[in-house]
Amino acid sequence: MMTDTSTRALAAKAVRASREQSRWQRTLVSIAYFVIPLVVVIALWQLATTLPARPSPFFPPPLAIFENTWNLLFGSERAVQQVFAGELLQSLGRMALGYIIGAAWGVVIGTAMGLNRSARETVTPIVEFLRSIPATATLPLFIILLGGGDDMRVVFIAYGVSWFVLINTASGVGSIHKTMLDLGKVFRVSPVRRLFAIILPAALPKIFAGLRIASTAALLLAIVSEFMLATNGIGYMLIQAQGRFQLLNMWSWMIVLAIIGLLLNSLLEFIESKVLAWHRLSRAKI
Amino acid sequence: MAIAADAAPRRRRNAKTGAIWRGIAGVVGLAVILEIVSRSGLVDPRFLPPFSEVLLRAITLWGDPVFRADVGNTLLTYLLGILISIVIAIPLGVVFGLFTPAYRAARAIIELLRPIPPVSLIPLVLLMLGAGLEMKLVVVVFAALWPIMFNTLYGVHDVDPYAKDMARSFGVSRFGVIRRIVIPSAAPFIVTGIRISSSIALIVVITVELIAGGAQGLGAFISRARASYADSLETYLSVLAATITAGLLGLLINLAIGWVERRYFGWDSTAKDGA
Repeated sequence: MMTDTSTRALAAKAVRASREQSRWQRTLVSIAYFVIPLVVVIALWQLATTLPARPSPFFPPPLAIFENTWNLLFGSERAVQQVFAGELLQSLGRMALGYIIGAAWGVVIGTAMGLNRSARETVTPIVEFLRSIPATATLPLFIILLGGGDDMRVVFIAYGVSWFVLINTASGVGSIHKTMLDLGKVFRVSPVRRLFAIILPAALPKIFAGLRIASTAALLLAIVSEFMLATNGIGYMLIQAQGRFQLLNMWSWMIVLAIIGLLLNSLLEFIESKVLAWHRLSRAKI
Repeated sequence: MAIAADAAPRRRRNAKTGAIWRGIAGVVGLAVILEIVSRSGLVDPRFLPPFSEVLLRAITLWGDPVFRADVGNTLLTYLLGILISIVIAIPLGVVFGLFTPAYRAARAIIELLRPIPPVSLIPLVLLMLGAGLEMKLVVVVFAALWPIMFNTLYGVHDVDPYAKDMARSFGVSRFGVIRRIVIPSAAPFIVTGIRISSSIALIVVITVELIAGGAQGLGAFISRARASYADSLETYLSVLAATITAGLLGLLINLAIGWVERRYFGWDSTAKDGA
C-alpha cells in the first residue's frame, strides 16, 4: 500500500517534470523562432550597409538608426521634453480625440441605422457613397472649410474613423436576432436598459472589429494630416527630416511610428480580450 | 399551396424594390435639401455651393484632358499595385500556410513590418525614387500586401486535410495538390483578401498623390486645385467635384469586386461575412 502510493506519487512527479520541461522547451523554441530571424536580418542589413565602399545613402546601418533613435528620444533632457511633451503628445492627443469623437458618432448613428430598417434603407446609398470616398482625399476639403489648424485635424480624423465604426455597428445591431429584442419588450425592459443591456452587448463583437480597423486608420489619418500645413507632430517631424535630407532622422521617426502602431494594435487587442471574454466563452461552449 | 409557394418570393421582391425606392428617395431628398440650404443663403454658398453646380462640375471636369489623364494615372497605379501585391502575396501565403516552420521564422519580421503605417514610407521612397509611378507602386504594394497574404494563409490552413491526403494517394504530385486542391479551396479567402486590399490600395494611391509634390493622379489634381488660387469658388467647386469623382471610383471598384465575389465565389460562407 505504502509503496504503491509512493510509486504513484513518483510517477506523477515525473510526468509533471517532463511536462514542465517540454513546456520550457516549447517556450525556448518559440523565443528562438522570434529572436534568430530578427538578429540574422539585422546582421545582414548591417553588413550590407557597412561593407561596400560606397553604401547607399538611403539605407543607413541599423545600429546607427537605433543609436540615432535613442538620441532623438532620450538623448538629452531637452530632447525628452520636446519629443514627449511636444511632438508625441500633440500627435497622439489629436489622434485620440479624433478617434473618440469619430467612434462615438459612429456608434450612435450606426445603432440608429441598425434599429430602424426604413431609415437604414433610406440612407444606405448615401453612406455607401460617402464611405467610398478615400478619407484622405477629403483632407483638402477640410483645409478649405476649417483652415490649417489643429481643430481641422481632429475633425478630419473623426470623419475618417467614423465610417468603419458606423458600418460595423449598423451591421452588428441589424443582425441581432429578433427574438432577443422581443424578449426585452415582453419583459417590459425600459428602452434605455434595452439599449445598454441587450442591443449594444449583442453588437459588441462587431463594434470592436470596427474599432480595431478604425485605430489603424486613425494613426494613418493623423500622420497624413500632419504632412500638410502642420507645425508639430510626428508626421511633421518626418516631412521636415525629408526636406533637410536627414535620412537617419527619417528612419528614426519611421521606427517611432511603427512602435506606436504596434502598441496601439496590442492595446486594442488587450481591451478586446478583456471586454469580449464572455463572447469567446459562449462561442467555445457551442 | 401554389399561392403560398410564390407569395414568399413576391414579398421578398417587394421588400427589395422598397429598399431601392427608399434609397432613391434618400439621395434625392439630400440633394434637394443641400440645394435649398445653399440657394436660400442659409449657409454661406462659399462653403456649400449648390449641389447642382457641384454635380455639373463633376461632369464637365471630364472634358478637361488633364483631369482625364490624372484619373487614368490613378487607375493604372491602383491596378498595377493590386496585381503586384497578388503576385507577391499569394505565393507567400501558400508557402507560409503549408510550411509552419517557414511562417514561424518569418513571423517576427512580419509582425514588425505590418504595423508600420504605409504613408510613413512616402518621404523616404519619394527621396529614393522621385515622384513617379515606381514610388507610388512601392507604397501601395507595401500597404496592399498584408490582407491578401494573411487571407491566403488562413485559407490554406482551412483546406480539408483528407482532400489533400486523398489526392496524394491517387498519385497527384505535391505541386499538383497545391494547384488542384489547396488554391481552389482557399480561393474564397483569397478573394476576400483582395477585396480588403483593394480599398486600402485606392486610399493609399490617392494619399501618395496628395502628399508627393509633382506627382500625377486624382489626388494630385485635388491638391493642385486647392493650392492654385485659394478662397475662390471656382477652385472649391473643382476640389468638391474631384473628391466626388474619387468616391465614385471607390464605389465602382467596390461594387465590381463584390459582384465578382458573389458571382464566382458565392458558394463559400466566408464570402457573405464581409470584414
